[in-house]
Amino acid sequence: MSEIVKDALCPFCGCLCDDIVLEVEDNHIISVNNACTLGEHKFLESGGERALKGPMRREGSGWKPISYEEAIEETAEILLAADRPLLYGWSGTYTEAQGAGIMLAEDLGAIVDSTTSVCHGPSILAIQEVGHPGCTLGQVKNRADVVIYWGSNPQEGHPRHLSRYTTYCDGYFLDNAAHDRTVIVVDVRKSATATLADHFIQIKPGGDYAVLSAMRAILAGREDVIPSKVAGVTREELIKIVNICKNARFGSLFFGVGLTMSQGKYKNVRNAIEFVDDLNRSTKFTLTPMRGHYNVYGFNEVCTWMTGYPYAVDLSRGIAFYNPGETTAVDVLARKECDACLVIASDPGAHFPSASVGHLAEIPTVLIDPVPNLTTPLCRLQIPVAVTGVDVGGTAYRMDGVPLSMKKVIDRGYPTDEELINAIRKRVEEVKGI
Amino acid sequence: MKVMMNTGRTIRQGSLIEKKTSDSYADETSSCMMNPLDMLDLDVEAGDHVRAVKGDRSVVLSVVPDEEISLGAIFVPLGPYANFVINSDTHGTGMPDYKTTLVDLTPTDDPVPSVSELMSSYGGLWYE
Repeated sequence: MSEIVKDALCPFCGCLCDDIVLEVEDNHIISVNNACTLGEHKFLESGGERALKGPMRREGSGWKPISYEEAIEETAEILLAADRPLLYGWSGTYTEAQGAGIMLAEDLGAIVDSTTSVCHGPSILAIQEVGHPGCTLGQVKNRADVVIYWGSNPQEGHPRHLSRYTTYCDGYFLDNAAHDRTVIVVDVRKSATATLADHFIQIKPGGDYAVLSAMRAILAGREDVIPSKVAGVTREELIKIVNICKNARFGSLFFGVGLTMSQGKYKNVRNAIEFVDDLNRSTKFTLTPMRGHYNVYGFNEVCTWMTGYPYAVDLSRGIAFYNPGETTAVDVLARKECDACLVIASDPGAHFPSASVGHLAEIPTVLIDPVPNLTTPLCRLQIPVAVTGVDVGGTAYRMDGVPLSMKKVIDRGYPTDEELINAIRKRVEEVKGI
Repeated sequence: MKVMMNTGRTIRQGSLIEKKTSDSYADETSSCMMNPLDMLDLDVEAGDHVRAVKGDRSVVLSVVPDEEISLGAIFVPLGPYANFVINSDTHGTGMPDYKTTLVDLTPTDDPVPSVSELMSSYGGLWYE
């Protein structure tokens, strides 16, 4: 007989949808309602038949099953033997496990970094420079009559963002939200989201900073200094978009990794924040990064509470040292600086550039993840764990910084990330006499 | 032909992240989406193979026509194929150039490597 679980949270993207309905039978999720394609696949396939049955160790040309006790002991040995261990990932797990991870990093004097550094790390750098004019997604849903997606394609990356918070949802202060909201998409290609926009501005790759600067100049009344085209966008188009923004009652700018990964990086985001700041002299306008992993924001919160910095923290000096570009995982690996790596709740084998991936294969790497991924071939040891939001509950932070409680739906008997990290930490502390 | 390589999420890539060892994931992340006019210039058709070269690294991709891609640009769904040629230099920011990597594109008859071949080239050991 099946059981219905209502209001489950989706452990995929930063939307952290909290209205998922799951049908559970014999400790299996057999159907998923309300989720997008990404969420549905996550619920049905994560930790399912493809999950490892137990830890495994690379030995010669094969993989050998080992016990959890052996895996914990060996992981502690690898990390203790390292001069410069890196603890990377964390965005696909809950904040309680992230907190345990920071404590492990402190015990080891390790570098701890999350996937932040390869998604919205530059956004945080910009926010540290000029602040964050943000708001909750509820404010956007109920008030925003102008919505901009800049360098972001939510139709493919955050498929329910438009229906839950912007284009297609009702708003308390909007009579006919779907009709009254103006949606603007700025991108280098006509993405799936751009086809739904009222206005689509196509800019040349790497032209974001110039376009934002031109829009700020128009806003400051200096249309006369704008050339006929800026990064492929005509002056008339820019003036039209700025006027729409100026005349908004409440505007929201959502931006994606199209801004953070293009040349200019954090300076692009800084310019976007300052554009929003300028708009707030005549109307209300807010800005929100489209966070990718469902709890990448949570890691930034936890890391800041515990070390004073949001990611890329080097604890080797006995104090927290933060210098993105130096202490970020891609750089540490590419410089071949770290001599051991613990990867948890992420897949740098799939998502890091080649030089960084290559070093992961050269050093002892331990992977904590339920299923084999592309870091598996590079690691010495993989330890399967419970899937957050399915086998274990915990706290996660939505892209607007709202913490929500994830549900435990079934129990397939795996240890949780928090239990595993604490077991490794206990062993490290025993050896170090802490 | 020099083109600006852009990478990013697609709905298919995202729905396969729990199945990164599958053929479907390899098919999606080895796609080189490009404007049909650029395909004419390069004399390639849908399904043909191209080699993307950046410095001393290269990877073979499969051509997928897409009229929404600008001339002089390609889009490759994020994953191990695009990353095989992306440089690790972050210009002091921690963030590589995932969206703006200039690559040389040439037609080739070479096969698209499997994901296991890519990972093995790093010294990895494939697990099925």
